[in-house]
Amino acid sequence: MKRVLILLTLCLFATGVAIAEPAGDAKALNVKTFQFKYKDADKAAAIIKQLMSPEGSMSIQPASNSLVVTDRAEKMKAITDALAAFDTAPHPVKLSLRLVGASRSETATKVPAEMRDIGAKLAVLRYNAIDDLGNANVDGHEGQPTTIDLQNGYRVDFKFGEYDPSSDSIKLDDFRLSKVEKDQLVQVYQATLNLKVGQTLIFGATKTHGQRAIFLVFNARR
Amino acid sequence: MTSCLEFRSLFHAGTNDPALLEHLRSCDPCLDYAAHLDPDVMFRAIGGENLVPPGGVDAFVDDVMRAVHVRSKEDVVESHHALSWPRRLAVAATIAASVVGGTLVFEHERQPLPAAIQARAIAPRPVVAQVKLTTKPVVETYSSTSATIVEVPSESAGDTTKIVMVIDDKLPADL
Repeated sequence: MKRVLILLTLCLFATGVAIAEPAGDAKALNVKTFQFKYKDADKAAAIIKQLMSPEGSMSIQPASNSLVVTDRAEKMKAITDALAAFDTAPHPVKLSLRLVGASRSETATKVPAEMRDIGAKLAVLRYNAIDDLGNANVDGHEGQPTTIDLQNGYRVDFKFGEYDPSSDSIKLDDFRLSKVEKDQLVQVYQATLNLKVGQTLIFGATKTHGQRAIFLVFNARR
Repeated sequence: MTSCLEFRSLFHAGTNDPALLEHLRSCDPCLDYAAHLDPDVMFRAIGGENLVPPGGVDAFVDDVMRAVHVRSKEDVVESHHALSWPRRLAVAATIAASVVGGTLVFEHERQPLPAAIQARAIAPRPVVAQVKLTTKPVVETYSSTSATIVEVPSESAGDTTKIVMVIDDKLPADL
C-alpha cells in the first residue's frame, strides 16, 4: 500500500512539473528592439503603451530612433504588428488653397466667374463683395513643411501632419497666415487644422462686428 | 504401532480396538479401506459413543489445534499474497497512465489553435456596410484663446463644403 502511495505521489509530482513548465514559458519576458525608418520612436512609444502588459517596459533610444520593448511573448506579437503598421512611408497629399477677401457692401459687386461657388457660400454670411488674393496647389507628403507666398503680401506656412485613416483626414500642423506690413511679416493667426479628404473647407476670420473677413478655401486629396 | 498389514488382517466391521482405531488416525489408505468395509468407522474413530476419542483427549486436542494453526497460517499467507507485485505494478501503471493521459488531454485543450485555423476563425466576415468614420474637429488649436469659433451648418445633407468662421478681436485691423 505504501509503495502504491509513493508511486501515485511521484506521478502527481511529475504531472505538476509538466503543467508548470508551459506556464513558466508563457510568463517569460522577451526583449525586442524596433528601429524606425519613417516615424519617430517617441510617437511609436505612445501607440504601444496601451498594448503592453503590466510587466512590460520600454525605453526610447533617440540617437538611433529606436525603441527597446520588454514584454511577454503573446503581447510582443501585437506590439510588433502595431509598430509595423505605424512605421510606413509618408502618405502623399495634394492640397489646393485659395485666399479670398470678403466684405459687406451696400452696392452689389461683380463676383469673378471662377469664384461663383465660393461667392454663393459666403453670401450666407452676408458677404457680397469678394476679391481673390491668390491660390496655390501643393503636392506634398506627411511631415513636409510648406511655405506659400500669395498676392498682396500674404504668406501661408504649415507642415503636413499625419493622415488619420479613422477620420479620413489630414492634419495641417502649425498653420500660420501672415501678412507683410511695412516690410515686416505680421502674423494674422496660427492654428492646427484637420482637413477631411475630398471636402472643401472655407475657413474665415474676422473681428467682432467687422465688415471685412479673410477666407482660406482648402481642398485636400490623396 | 500397528502396521498396515496387521490392520488389514485384524480389522472387521464394528471393531472398537483402540490400536486399530489409532492407526486410522494416521493412515489415509487404511482409512479408505476401513470405510469401504464399515462406513460407521469414521464416527467410531473420533469416539462416537465413547466421549474419549481414540488416542486420548490430549492427542485429539493437539490434532485439532494443529489443524487450526495450519489454517490460520494459510489465511495469513493467502492475505499476504492477495495483491502480488505484478498486480501492484499494473494498478500503479494504470493510475499513472490515467493521470498523465488526463493531463495531456487537459493541456491539449488549453493549447491555442494553429495560427492558420485561428486566423480563419477570427477573420471577420465581409462587411457589407461601410465602416463609419470618426469625426475630428476642424480647428484643433487656435492662437487666441479669446476667439470664438463657429461652424456654419451645411445647407443640405449632401453638401461637401464646410464653413468655419473664427471671430477674433486680436486679428490685425487691416485684413
